[in-house]
Amino acid sequence: MQGLARFLAYRLLRMLVAMWCVVTVVFIVMRLSGDPVPLLLPPDAPIAEMERLRHEMGLDRPIWVQYGVFMSQAVHGDFGRSIHFRTSALQVVWERVPATLELAFASFLCAIVVAIPAGILSAVKRGSTYDNIVMGVALIGQAAPTFYIGIMLILVCSLWLGLFPTSGRGEWRQLVLPSVTLGAFAMASIARITRSAVLEILMADFIRTARAKGVPEFWTIVKHVMRNAAIPVVTIVGLQLGNLLGGAVVTETIFSWPGIGRLAIQSIYNRDYPIVQSCVFMTAAMFVVVNFLVDVTYGLLDPRIRRG
Amino acid sequence: MEDVGAKRDGITVDGLARMLRDGQITRRGFLARAVGLVGSAAAAEGLLARVVGAQTTSKNTLVIGQSADISKLDPQMSTTVNDIAVTFNLYDNLLTRRLDGKLYPSLATEWKLVNPTTWQFKLRPNVKFHNGDPLTSADVKFSFERSYDPNAKVITKSILTTIDKIETPDPLTVVIHTKQPDPLLAARVAFYAGQIMPKAYFQKVGDDEFNAKPIGSGPVKFASWVKDDRLILDANRDYWGGKIDVDQIIFRPLPELAARIAALLKGEVDLITKIPPDHVERVSKAPNTKVEGVLYAGLYCLSVASQKPPLDSKPFRQAMSLAIDRQIIVKELWRGQAGVPTGLVVKSDNHFDPTLPPLKYDPNQAKQLLKEANYKGEELTLETPIGFMVMDKEMSEVIVSMWKDVGINAKLEQLEYSVYQQKIREKSFKGIRWTDPTSAYNDPDGMMWRHLAPGGPNAYWFRHPRFDELGNGARFSVDEKFREGAYKEMARLELEFLPLIPVIQPMELYGLQKYVEWKPYANQTMEFRRFNLKMRRA
Repeated sequence: MQGLARFLAYRLLRMLVAMWCVVTVVFIVMRLSGDPVPLLLPPDAPIAEMERLRHEMGLDRPIWVQYGVFMSQAVHGDFGRSIHFRTSALQVVWERVPATLELAFASFLCAIVVAIPAGILSAVKRGSTYDNIVMGVALIGQAAPTFYIGIMLILVCSLWLGLFPTSGRGEWRQLVLPSVTLGAFAMASIARITRSAVLEILMADFIRTARAKGVPEFWTIVKHVMRNAAIPVVTIVGLQLGNLLGGAVVTETIFSWPGIGRLAIQSIYNRDYPIVQSCVFMTAAMFVVVNFLVDVTYGLLDPRIRRG
Repeated sequence: MEDVGAKRDGITVDGLARMLRDGQITRRGFLARAVGLVGSAAAAEGLLARVVGAQTTSKNTLVIGQSADISKLDPQMSTTVNDIAVTFNLYDNLLTRRLDGKLYPSLATEWKLVNPTTWQFKLRPNVKFHNGDPLTSADVKFSFERSYDPNAKVITKSILTTIDKIETPDPLTVVIHTKQPDPLLAARVAFYAGQIMPKAYFQKVGDDEFNAKPIGSGPVKFASWVKDDRLILDANRDYWGGKIDVDQIIFRPLPELAARIAALLKGEVDLITKIPPDHVERVSKAPNTKVEGVLYAGLYCLSVASQKPPLDSKPFRQAMSLAIDRQIIVKELWRGQAGVPTGLVVKSDNHFDPTLPPLKYDPNQAKQLLKEANYKGEELTLETPIGFMVMDKEMSEVIVSMWKDVGINAKLEQLEYSVYQQKIREKSFKGIRWTDPTSAYNDPDGMMWRHLAPGGPNAYWFRHPRFDELGNGARFSVDEKFREGAYKEMARLELEFLPLIPVIQPMELYGLQKYVEWKPYANQTMEFRRFNLKMRRA
């Protein structure tokens, strides 16, 4: 039990360090990328007006002072006011969290419900037509760019077949196409990893022993193969969930989904530092929480890891 | 329409459809007769929908898909195209510019120039803000003064700077004194910074609350806004100009072009903005949708942003302009959805001279001028953003190859938008860059002079004493005859020295459902009023 507590404490500490690093890097990179003031004013605004706005936003202070102010506010959960929206940055980002979570989890569900059984079956029926088809589709899922999948889905499923709305958020039907688009890559990766993990275990001695003992094939797969193949699958599933949470920019743009990714990109264009920082903070927080959960799952799945 | 050919008693479904469209029979009449042709009431209903559905609607909501979400609802906090599409409907100006480019009464019923520096506006009586407060001259004075108040958090400070003081002798009279004669004051109050806000409500709630829950006097009222998803505006039933033809207007951000067009084609939205010319055919040929376009009140120009040789040579710049085949660009790249300019005063501007010919393409003369310029093959760089202006990259590629054809050693560099913006601020372009000046007040002062006056966004090096004298004189003169002569001469000087090389005047293209009757404005505002928006209903 003490081992588990130490394991968790260590992981938590690493989580905080990771968050600090991410937030600091974003702070520096955003300031290197340019000045937001001219983007806020009409092209013919006088210099004095620019200077006034720069002063009002605290951008005329030395960068280390800005960093100090930023960090002291950040630990209090205050990421400043959005330059673009002129309201609390964290609040603007917080409003997008439900949409981001909804899309990420729907995609995730889509991915694992399809990918894990498909991967296992593919491994069990290795070399069969089924295996070839699944791996072929997975290859397309991994290789095709998200924007292409998204636009094709809109054209075929919305415009031609009329099954789903083209974009927006509200009813469940609007969730289908963005989830499939976003989940396609994760689906493909998880299916491939599941297949290879299961294949490896299928060749292990204890499986041969199980089969020799006459354990039915179904129970061999469920009890012996799946449990042992779980570690790489959980790893990739965790990583993919992180990606789904933070990497939905293209999908959100195509389907006009009001999530964090799209907000972050627009804010980068607008040089809206507080929003970008809040977006990255929020995404990083979700990512490290997922990673933490994955770590904990490892510990639960395999006692050797939590002892080590 | 597989049933359309069905025939009974000599009448085809085609014929029925035609009769319905021509108004010879009612919908009920159509249904009654169609049942006989297609067998069942349900099939007849379906047929009716297919025959007339595309042309009429029973919807009471107008859904608009824009290329990005709005950012602010306070009219003095933003001047972006997507924001002003909303604010010009939430608020009213004293005057409004309509399709014909002329100024019309809005909140002001009369206006006159009392003397060269004094303007008087008479307000419309009994106008109310959305919260029921009466709109008076005090609100006008407050709104205008806030737009240039150095302590206010607004970004419209450069617009109404000619105002010296504002008097309000009675609740329905506004007298504006300008520092110098300002021939464009009426035009200025019709554009952004001229939208009237409620003084009492604003002072009660402050900047942020006002931006979150704005109150205006326009034909729509703010209802709700879910950022990046939808902005809902309810019709103002008590609007002085009459209730608009819908109960609600919804603005949705649809940033991806393919998705925006798909949403229109599928009927999820009624109107979309920013259709590139190569998608016009798809939208206009679809059974339910159409394209409406208007020449943009501005130009796409190449700005000579450096004086590094060979750009310091006048004949060289003239050769650059003559080497561009603008007709081909309009015909092939823009599919005819643009015009060839005659100079820096555009078609929708005051004092536009219709007798001037479109800018010439003459590669032989260009080659001649290059010889005259003693051009030795120095490299010329055109820096372009991608997607900042419609077709910027494509036009750049074509123009660079046209320059190469006459012997100019031209090179193209593509820049990310924010880097491009940075270079605009730092004035650090290597040679030529794109610019898309808007004619802010439908007047050469709002474009030619604003951009090329000392300190203007495209005044990189060009100074000419006569040009400056005329520009300054026309800005502060209320003598339109003098101004006309001045702008004619300035336009000629501009074409001689070419600090800006006009390339095309593009069309602003919108996609609409066929049942939406609305025409776009040249200045990118989207005004929806009772007189200009109609949803065709069965």
